[in-house]
Amino acid sequence: MTNFKTLTLGAILLSGSALSAQAEELHFIMCGGEVRAADQAVIDEFTASHEGVTVNMEAVPWGTCQDKSMQLAAAGDPPSIAYMGSRTLRQLANNDLIVPVTFTPEQEAAYQPGVLSTVTVGGQYWGIPHAFSTKALYINCDVVEAAGAECKAPETWEDLIALAKTVTDNTDAAGIGIAGKDFDNTMHMFLDFLYSNGGEVFDADGNPALDSQATRETLQLYADLLPYMEAGPTEWERDAMKDLFNDGQIAMYVTGPWGKGQHNAEIHQLIAPIPHGPSGPSGTILITDSIAVFKGTGHEDLAIELAKALTSGAAQYDLDSSWGLTPILQYENLGVADPYYTHDDWPVFVAGISTGGPEPLVEDFKALQAVFTNMVQGIMLADGTVDDLVTTAGEELAAVR
Amino acid sequence: MADTVAVPPRQARRKVLPEGVFAWSLVAPAMLFIGIIVAWPLVETFRLSFTDAGLGGETYVGWSNYAELFHSGKFYDIVYRTFYWMFLSVSLKLVMGLIGASLLNAAVPGKALFRVLVMPPWVIPIDFGVIGWKWLYNGYFGFLSGILQRLGIIADPIALLAQKTSAFYAAIVTDVWVGTPMVTLFLLAAMQGVSRDLYEAAWVDGAGRWYRFRRITIPQIMPVIVSMALLSAIWTFNSFEIIWILTEGGPRGATTTLIIDTYKVAISSQRFGEGAARAVVIVGLLTAFSLLYLYFLNKVNKHYGAK
Repeated sequence: MTNFKTLTLGAILLSGSALSAQAEELHFIMCGGEVRAADQAVIDEFTASHEGVTVNMEAVPWGTCQDKSMQLAAAGDPPSIAYMGSRTLRQLANNDLIVPVTFTPEQEAAYQPGVLSTVTVGGQYWGIPHAFSTKALYINCDVVEAAGAECKAPETWEDLIALAKTVTDNTDAAGIGIAGKDFDNTMHMFLDFLYSNGGEVFDADGNPALDSQATRETLQLYADLLPYMEAGPTEWERDAMKDLFNDGQIAMYVTGPWGKGQHNAEIHQLIAPIPHGPSGPSGTILITDSIAVFKGTGHEDLAIELAKALTSGAAQYDLDSSWGLTPILQYENLGVADPYYTHDDWPVFVAGISTGGPEPLVEDFKALQAVFTNMVQGIMLADGTVDDLVTTAGEELAAVR
Repeated sequence: MADTVAVPPRQARRKVLPEGVFAWSLVAPAMLFIGIIVAWPLVETFRLSFTDAGLGGETYVGWSNYAELFHSGKFYDIVYRTFYWMFLSVSLKLVMGLIGASLLNAAVPGKALFRVLVMPPWVIPIDFGVIGWKWLYNGYFGFLSGILQRLGIIADPIALLAQKTSAFYAAIVTDVWVGTPMVTLFLLAAMQGVSRDLYEAAWVDGAGRWYRFRRITIPQIMPVIVSMALLSAIWTFNSFEIIWILTEGGPRGATTTLIIDTYKVAISSQRFGEGAARAVVIVGLLTAFSLLYLYFLNKVNKHYGAK
């Protein structure tokens, strides 16, 4: 508990050392469309301990939030601080719009392996990770059993296809929900399967590596699953699939640990690692969202202070546990006894941390997203062969900045 | 004889502004206003199109944004799709608007009520209307798929926005739904301005309904039809919300028009210079289209005797 207390105490002391008593307003853009109670509690405490400081919270849905923060920064009116996808950090850092962040060695050691790499550009940290997720396969056992099958986790892609087929053939439900909309989680879901087949987007030297056998096998999986997917997969993004799952319209889909809280309590569900392909073990994409502090507001230090308060020790634990996120810090090493992620189905998500792959960091992440949606939609709409689509995706990736 | 003193007229005693200066002083505020909100952004967009402006600044790149655009096969697909979208949508709006105006112009009981009922698609916020259509088109929870399944016409859910062809035509249907009421009301107003004497004279001569419509109504309202065609074409060409809310330009670019492509490049990807080049191309295309249209409008007006 000593380290945990030290980190928490440090954060409180830091946030308590009010820089000045002059009136200042921090403009905080919170992507996701809501301010969670755990964050609001820290913000309230922060403003109470900083006389004259107010925080103007603006919660914006994911679809437009990151564009909004960037547009404001580009127009010379940046927000003070923003919670957004870590994939935006490279673009913001390379364009000198955000300030770098430093961590003490103790703070660095507290994060889960791989987390800080999602905020690292050019050897510097550019954001403070605030939410972390790994993914797993959710199975609606009621639907599977109605199809006459045993509700058992498929271990391989062959098992997955067979189970999806059984459900589609024997019920009104679709075997599996796959995201295919023009949206970031279409790429994320594809990467969940690609990383479960030993694939990669960039190699260790940063060279494009998408045009590979592993990618072809993954896209072939999508082609094989196509008859058993929900109707019109190009219309669906992952988060909307919880409605299909709750409605018994799909038997399986891949999502994060928050899925359990979104599903109807009466559904008998099984949570399992993502089945693996012929070329690799089960994996998952490791995604973080971070708090970035923008340049040019005149109160960057104050904003960093708030960001540190939100992401340190007890505050972060409150957020992770109440939201149902994969733990971003190694709380057991910080002295937390019996942390929430040692119970129930959590080991499935925690195990993914060590086997997962990163969300690729590029400057033009919308272009990266387009590479994947073009490829995935191409197979869903029968616009090309697996080979052609992967070759094209490889060429398009090479052109992404 | 008493001396008379010539009294100059009152106006002559005043120091009068020259007529030209007076006229310019009246026009100046409007010109200033137009200069600020129209000309300056246009010039700035043109300037930006020669840079690689992005989040972090800009450098001059000459014609490279245009060269890249015109060497891209995708760009020509998008231009073709935009004109096809515009042609189909405007044609349908005009046909539907003409039919609607004719019905509303007929002497039927309660026609005032019908004239009000035709307006909601135009009056309600466009976003609300389009979200409603998005729900109608949804495969699982949508009205259309549900009805078709209930009637036994289809066995499985059909997601109209998920396939390239159906998404494109579904977007056109929604655009026509939004745009038709305005066309209807304008054409109705034009029809009401046609002299009754013409119809009575034709009726006396034995002309039937279709003949009167074809030889009196259409020629009389032709200038309004052509004007509506131009306005509707420009609005449809630049129609953004409908496509964006329904499909965001997908699937696989099937509903990406020039304005959607420009938004994606300039705003979503923050490539302001490349986006500006696209915007300049749009201005050029619409200007050329408008000039061509004005030429034909002039011909139509001459043909039908309008000034």
